[in-house]
Amino acid sequence: MQVKVLFFGVLAEVSGTSIKHYENVKSLADLKLRILDDFPEIVHYSFRYSVNSEITDDEPVLKSGDEIALLPPFAGG
Amino acid sequence: MEENNLISGPISQKIISEVILRIGRYKDAGGNMLFLGQVRADETQGKRVKAIEYSAYTEMVNAEAEKIKRTILSEFGDVKSIVIVHSTGVVNAGEISLLVLVCSGHRQQAVQACSKTIELIKSNLPVWKKEIFEDDSHTWK
Repeated sequence: MQVKVLFFGVLAEVSGTSIKHYENVKSLADLKLRILDDFPEIVHYSFRYSVNSEITDDEPVLKSGDEIALLPPFAGG
Repeated sequence: MEENNLISGPISQKIISEVILRIGRYKDAGGNMLFLGQVRADETQGKRVKAIEYSAYTEMVNAEAEKIKRTILSEFGDVKSIVIVHSTGVVNAGEISLLVLVCSGHRQQAVQACSKTIELIKSNLPVWKKEIFEDDSHTWK
């Protein structure tokens, strides 16, 4: 399946991108490995994943068209 | 404006006035608490902040802002409405980057609900900030 990955905060800076599309994604676990492979520097930063704007700490089933975001700790307000 | 909680650039006096003008619509409100968050010219390691650049996950901000409002309305029965406006992009030191307005029947809950709203914004709103120093270097907060 095809998904869209968004990078926010410091991760957008270290990865050099704010958005990347991935094809042939098997699962969230598979996607995470591919993201780390493409952007190994992000391993130095603390962040959480969200799927379609919902933060997830486990491994929900993905479907084509899903939007996954890498969210560093929030700093608003 | 209640549906869109983000604004590009600093929150202007015009926007603040527009928000305040809406207070009068709640005839059962007796206490209104307005908070304005300002970019502070902090000094870190000998460098002074000249601006903050905010970035946000827009769809998630709007969803989370609505959740915050629902939480506040259910926790504080006297509160009539909450307005949240947060800047994105560059806001210079001295300019306003956050507005929270709580309209309540009485003062006590207006003050408490406003404080709680700000705490929830800080913990739950997907917004990030980059401090830009006078020498144009920056650091992520």
